[in-house]
Amino acid sequence: MPSLQALNGTYRRAVVGTLVALAAQGVLLAVLLPFRSHLSVATPALVFLVPVIIGVVVGGFWAGALAAVAGLLFYDIFFLPPYGNLTVHAAANWLALLVYLVVVLVMTRVVTQLNAARDEARRREQDAGRLFELSQALIGDIDITELLDHIVTTVQTVFSPRWTALLLPAAALPAGRDGPNLSVAARAGQELSTDELTSLTASGGQIRSLGMDRRASSGRVAVALVASNRPVGLLVLQEVQFARQDRALLGTFANQAALAVERAQLQEQALRTRLLEEIDRWRGAMMGAVSHDLRTPLASVKAAVSSLRQDGGALNDADRAELLELIELQSDRLARLVTNLLDMTRIESGALAVRPTLMPLDELVDESLAAVNGLVPRCRVHFEAPADLPLLEIDHVLMGQVLANLLENAARLCPDGSPIRIGARSSGTPAVPLVEVSVADEGPGIAAEDRERVFEMFSQNGGGARSGLGLTIAKAFVEAHGGTIWIDPAVERGARVVFTVPAATNVAQHA
Amino acid sequence: MTKVLVIDDDVALVKALRIGLTARGDVVATAPSGTDGITQVALFHPDLVILDLGLPDLDGLEVCRRIREFSDVPVIVLSAYGDERRKVEALDGGADDFITKPFGMAELEARLRVAVRHSAARAGHGTELPTTLRVGDLEVDMVHHMATKSGVPLALTSREFELLAYLARYAGKVCTHHMILKDVWGPGYGAESNYVRVYTHRLRKKLNDDEGRLLRTVPGIGYQLVADAPDPP
Repeated sequence: MPSLQALNGTYRRAVVGTLVALAAQGVLLAVLLPFRSHLSVATPALVFLVPVIIGVVVGGFWAGALAAVAGLLFYDIFFLPPYGNLTVHAAANWLALLVYLVVVLVMTRVVTQLNAARDEARRREQDAGRLFELSQALIGDIDITELLDHIVTTVQTVFSPRWTALLLPAAALPAGRDGPNLSVAARAGQELSTDELTSLTASGGQIRSLGMDRRASSGRVAVALVASNRPVGLLVLQEVQFARQDRALLGTFANQAALAVERAQLQEQALRTRLLEEIDRWRGAMMGAVSHDLRTPLASVKAAVSSLRQDGGALNDADRAELLELIELQSDRLARLVTNLLDMTRIESGALAVRPTLMPLDELVDESLAAVNGLVPRCRVHFEAPADLPLLEIDHVLMGQVLANLLENAARLCPDGSPIRIGARSSGTPAVPLVEVSVADEGPGIAAEDRERVFEMFSQNGGGARSGLGLTIAKAFVEAHGGTIWIDPAVERGARVVFTVPAATNVAQHA
Repeated sequence: MTKVLVIDDDVALVKALRIGLTARGDVVATAPSGTDGITQVALFHPDLVILDLGLPDLDGLEVCRRIREFSDVPVIVLSAYGDERRKVEALDGGADDFITKPFGMAELEARLRVAVRHSAARAGHGTELPTTLRVGDLEVDMVHHMATKSGVPLALTSREFELLAYLARYAGKVCTHHMILKDVWGPGYGAESNYVRVYTHRLRKKLNDDEGRLLRTVPGIGYQLVADAPDPP
């Protein structure tokens, strides 16, 4: 059924064509009439063909037919003797009239067909263009949400229904959009009324085409999107006026859209699978690292204890004292590891609260040395800081842990009693004063390619013996203070870890 | 007196091992890194190496392979991972035994004694394969393809004999399924560990060793022929 606008167009064209053709007939009649005695019988017949052609071309078949009838009447009445009536006397004139009639009919028919073919070609071209436009939207590498929006907007633009909606089964909805069995994933055009929305989703989740029948009247049209024999969605157009080929066009587009939606869904699924795999891998690494970190101190404790218990007699006093001290230190290390693990859990769950107070750096160093309790002898630690260093504005529990972790790493990796240097200097701006603290050791150092990775959680192989939670916790705590932590790349021997902490404005430490 | 080299970067564990082993009468040298350890094997000529798999410079497996390039010293691998794969890799790469952290000194000492004793027995054979292998009261006659236990001949099929001979040749060493399959069944095998299970089961029956005290199962890893099973710690 042609749309109203198309109907108007055709009607107007027919009327205009008829009027033009009749006017031309009238003008030609007026021009020819004074000379009719000088003209042969055939001449007016030929001349009256011209308006008929104009009528057909401009107004279509009926305009041409009307022009032909008018031409016939004019020809018969005014140019075939006896003039003034429809009577025809001479046999030759009968023949002329007949020929005129045949020629007019054949010509009208041919021109009408040509017109129709031209219109058809134009329409096909238009359809191809629209289909291209539609499918163009589907081939880009866009995520599914964007794709769904694209489909409905394109359908809305091309077919101009009151609204277009794309419904997906609940299981296939992109993350964050959920609802009943079948729910609207994307829409375009006018807002849906509540009733319409209910009628859409209340269909029991069935995906079935509706109103795609050629004879169906205009109203709601639903197209099932089916890919690989599996319904992936439902495209609904409300109050759409289809032109002749539009149904086929919509069908073709729906097929393409179905493939695109399916592909996007598969892509999303693949992404989710990859993510899960990544989480699994990470969890495995974490379990491995935690068990490694916990077992390492346990191993020395157990070895020492079993020595004391079984070979007590064979040990001299110094050895026994050394083993006991070792057990104590390793137990402390184990306790710190557990603290670190708990802290990490707090950080992960977002429950970390920073409670800053003002504190001089040397006090923080004392505090962290007490925390690593004997593992790092005081005499190994060389602390140098400028006298005018501002007070630190820090949570001393968290920052003490940072420094303790760094000291412990340094001590563990440089067993030979080499010095560990703690340095500090002012940095930042007067408005945002910072203090840069560094801990340097003379141990094996960190390879350039590992300088980023050592801060990652459980970078087991990357950090070598520096693995575990220490640096990860340090990074998390420093960042919780708004600071940064990094490995100094300019150090040739050993490793130098540097971090920034907020400082108090204009309050010198020793003022 | 056994000369033991401990290759481990964990200061505390090294200290505990040094004191503990010294108290038991061993001479202990230590190395904090893989490269250091390899050098020490060449200089110190230890009777046994205790090797940690997680070292700061080299992978423990790599250290083991490099030691094997020039020395037959028994290597006991310390592993903090509960990772069977790495243990198997270490054993395939030439390690003799493994021990999982944490461990008691008695257990370590027992493993150490087994490894040293069998390696000494192997060293006695020289480079040529001996005609007769002895593991405790078990005797394997390589010339006549016969085996006796406490002087009583065992009725073995040829595959059973070859399996027993293989384990006897590497007595004290943990042999992985993979190693056994490759050597006893042939180079085309390697994954069919169920074959090994079936044959060790039959062997145990014939050896009157249902508890597996002589032919020890190392769960998930392989088998080990031990002269006299270490006393339980």
